[in-house]
Amino acid sequence: MTSEVLLEAGAPSGAAPPAAITTSGLTKRFRGGQVAVDAIDLDVPRGSVYGFLGPNGSGKTTTIRMLLGLITPTEGTFTMPPLTTVGALVEGPAFYPYLSGEANLLRFDAADPSAPPRTAKARAAEALERVGLAAAAGKRYRAYSLGMRQRLAIAAALLRPRRLLVLDEPTNGLDPQGTREVRALVKDVAAEGTTVFVSSHLLAEVEQMCTHAGIMSAGRLVAQGTIASLSGGRAARIRIDTPDLEAAARVLAALELPDVRVGSDVTAELGGHAPERINAELVVAGVAVRGLSVVRTSLEDVFVGLTGEGFDVDG
Amino acid sequence: MSTADTQTGARRTPGLVPVSETRRSAERAAAPREPSVLSEPEPSGGVVAFWRLLRSELGLTFRRPRNLIMLGVLALVPVIIGIVLKSIGTEDADGGMGALLAATAGNSLMLTFVALSALVPLLMPIAVAVVAGDSIAGEAGTGTLRYLLAAPAGRGRLLAVKYLNAVAFSVAVTAAVAVSALVVGVLLFPVGPVTLLSGTTVSFADGLLRILITVGYVSAGMAALAAVALALSTLTEVSIGAIAATLVLIIVTQVLRAFPQLDWLAPYLLPTHWSGFDGALRDPIGDMSGGLLAFTAYIALFLSTAWARFSGKDISS
Amino acid sequence: MRRGTIVRWGVPIAAAAVIGAAVGAGPVIAAVSGEPVLPERTAAQLLADAAAAVKKAGGPPAMSGTVQQTASLGLPALPAQGGTASPLALLSGSHEVKVWYGAQDRLRIALPGQMSETNLIVNGDQTWYWDSGTNTATKVKLPAKPEGDQPLATPSPTDLTPQQVAETFLDRVNEDTGVSVTNTAEVAGRSVYQLVLTPKAQSSLVKEVRLALDGENYVPLQVQVFAKGSAEPAFQVGFTQVTFSPPAEENFAFTPPAGAKVEEKEFGQLQEPGADHSKEAEKAAEQVKVVGNGWTSVAVLPFKQDGQAQESREAQAAKLILDQATPVSGAWGSGKMIKTKLVTALLTDDGRLLAGAVTPDELVKVAGQ
Repeated sequence: MTSEVLLEAGAPSGAAPPAAITTSGLTKRFRGGQVAVDAIDLDVPRGSVYGFLGPNGSGKTTTIRMLLGLITPTEGTFTMPPLTTVGALVEGPAFYPYLSGEANLLRFDAADPSAPPRTAKARAAEALERVGLAAAAGKRYRAYSLGMRQRLAIAAALLRPRRLLVLDEPTNGLDPQGTREVRALVKDVAAEGTTVFVSSHLLAEVEQMCTHAGIMSAGRLVAQGTIASLSGGRAARIRIDTPDLEAAARVLAALELPDVRVGSDVTAELGGHAPERINAELVVAGVAVRGLSVVRTSLEDVFVGLTGEGFDVDG
Repeated sequence: MSTADTQTGARRTPGLVPVSETRRSAERAAAPREPSVLSEPEPSGGVVAFWRLLRSELGLTFRRPRNLIMLGVLALVPVIIGIVLKSIGTEDADGGMGALLAATAGNSLMLTFVALSALVPLLMPIAVAVVAGDSIAGEAGTGTLRYLLAAPAGRGRLLAVKYLNAVAFSVAVTAAVAVSALVVGVLLFPVGPVTLLSGTTVSFADGLLRILITVGYVSAGMAALAAVALALSTLTEVSIGAIAATLVLIIVTQVLRAFPQLDWLAPYLLPTHWSGFDGALRDPIGDMSGGLLAFTAYIALFLSTAWARFSGKDISS
Repeated sequence: MRRGTIVRWGVPIAAAAVIGAAVGAGPVIAAVSGEPVLPERTAAQLLADAAAAVKKAGGPPAMSGTVQQTASLGLPALPAQGGTASPLALLSGSHEVKVWYGAQDRLRIALPGQMSETNLIVNGDQTWYWDSGTNTATKVKLPAKPEGDQPLATPSPTDLTPQQVAETFLDRVNEDTGVSVTNTAEVAGRSVYQLVLTPKAQSSLVKEVRLALDGENYVPLQVQVFAKGSAEPAFQVGFTQVTFSPPAEENFAFTPPAGAKVEEKEFGQLQEPGADHSKEAEKAAEQVKVVGNGWTSVAVLPFKQDGQAQESREAQAAKLILDQATPVSGAWGSGKMIKTKLVTALLTDDGRLLAGAVTPDELVKVAGQ
């Protein structure tokens, strides 16, 4: 296993393995028998922005702690890029209150045995600039606002060019503006080729930021894949609001839309049809269309379908 | 060996990139989109990086107001003792410490030994216990420990840095007292040959050398305490808990030493050996090897315990 | 438990084992040491050699070392003493004395205390007693030498050097005593003959006395007195470290340091300041009667209970001990019995003090005589 990681670290750029993180049966049982993470098999593709989705307490942070070597897995294995190439934000920011933002970054840079000391100051300044803290670089951490602290933590994760960025709830405590900035940052970082593994309990966030997602529930990984494949598990449907239910149903059936249902309105799977075409057909057939909409299943539906649980809408 | 164990090995030894800088520069040109990890300049190497972390640690310790205040208070004690001795005189000194105090009035160097005698049993250990007890638990408490380990500082490496830092503080504590006492002594009392406990008189330079030996011995004693405090520090996430536990240990052992029934226990207790620095005041210089061996034993036992505990500990703070 | 965990905790456990072994090594090696390294000797040969070494006109060879004296007599605990220099402190616990011996008239004995030191330095016709605690250098005038061949009077009321203690015991070697020799022991890193003296008298509290003689020059290096029913020696005095080479001359040179009080005293006055027992001790010595002989001899002396000098530490300690004594009575009268591992003392109400290394029964028997 050691050699595998080393191999990956030294692999020539052309032969990039397909996955940034894989886990196999990764399990953490705490003393007392509580299973925090239950045999999960993560597959985080290289270059992806992977949303690690799940309600609070579903085992996301425990998984991240195992990946970062903070806690020992009870069972299972994982592969990761070497930690020197991984930037991480775990369970909120934590810094030395009596040091300035810059001094804090230099402190953590010093802890990295492979960080070149000569460029430390420049890299710290760059990271601070990137998260918009350049002006507050000399200010003591104690005086930072919650949002600034969160940004400083992201800056610490960006101190060096990374292969992998692990961000645990990166938008916690940020105002809407800050949240937007973090999303933009993630996009930037991903564009540079860095794999981003971002945990969140906010569906919307993952839907907007990520290319892939894995869904955790009570310690188990219940689904993972591309966002499209996850939400595309069930097809989009067209819904027609009309008093002429029977007529509308006949038109849809004639167009060979599958699974036509009649209730208080008429719905059917959209298939490959264009909604405006269907509307035209309905009008031609003399159906009085009051409203027409396309309903796509969202991640939330997938999640509720998979776990029977809802999300707390806003953490 | 379970698979999890192999993995453990993997994550603790983050792979360095075994490719030369020139080659990586070339790769950078060839593959600009590859995350530029591979294009970083050659890491400065294990030893240099270790010193960098140690320097960072020392910077935190010796810039932290709390620690500076402790050093200042300790350095102040010899000043107070010196001034009191100078102003009240020592005519009525009788027996025990009295004679030592009288000797102080007669020679500038003796103030160092008086000050150390006064501070070694409790005050200096408290200062060392605060820094060493805080070392791991404090980082765990503020959560910075998880970021240090994710950096990745490496557990053994971080523990070594933390201990060396505590040793440096032990030396600083001892040196602060000795230097302050030396300066105050030279200012207030006559400079000249020193009378030892054995009744022999040695030159001022010889006296200075003996102070140096004393500082070394007392520092070693404090470093042994630091190992105990460090081990306790790995057991908790509340630094005040580790500090308090160390202080309780010191006080309990000091109390145990007061019972003659427990004389048999004394050689195994750390504080028993702290006062062994008076060997430097004998002629020939007293055998300090017993104390140094005891310190070594304490350091070996508690440092290895700290390592065993810390390297396998789940960091969940 | 994971293998990694076991390996990890193995390190501190191994460290503890090594330390434990190192701590226990001294006594263990002495007790189980394997191959005899010295040629066999009969007890008689050895006794002769030993007696010759002790009594040799030239005295023992030049040497220096650390003598440790340990007493666990089973006395009631004494209150903590101010300094270890008090003779009473030697009755319990463990004490170290540094000895430098150049020749018969060149001797230094140092009793280190915490941040203090007491020294006796004999150099030719000069004898100094230095006490750093009181910053006093005392020039000692030795009493006129008795015609005996004892070169040096003991500085302390408790015999400190193995030579002197050994001599006392050697005198007792007679038909009351079983004698055997072992040649496997080691003291202070030197191979020694161990002479084991076993009292034959049932009423003796002494199980055996072990006398360790250096394998090369027969200098007694250790004396251990074992009480019956105890595996640890009740009293032990011996070198923990010894070098047979002439010590540096500086050890015997003493000049009173500047600023020290310099006094001149008779040897007998060289006691705790303010507690001049020497006269009383002399008087008492005249009144001592010894009943019986050998191992079971009992000393009988008059004793006034309404103590003199109640303030002295000794008196306080004596009172403390008396408070714990057992009242006894019989045809001979009544009194208080104090029993320790090695010594039994009986203080009768009619003012006699009986003491000996014998069982209480034996003491009562003597009291009735």
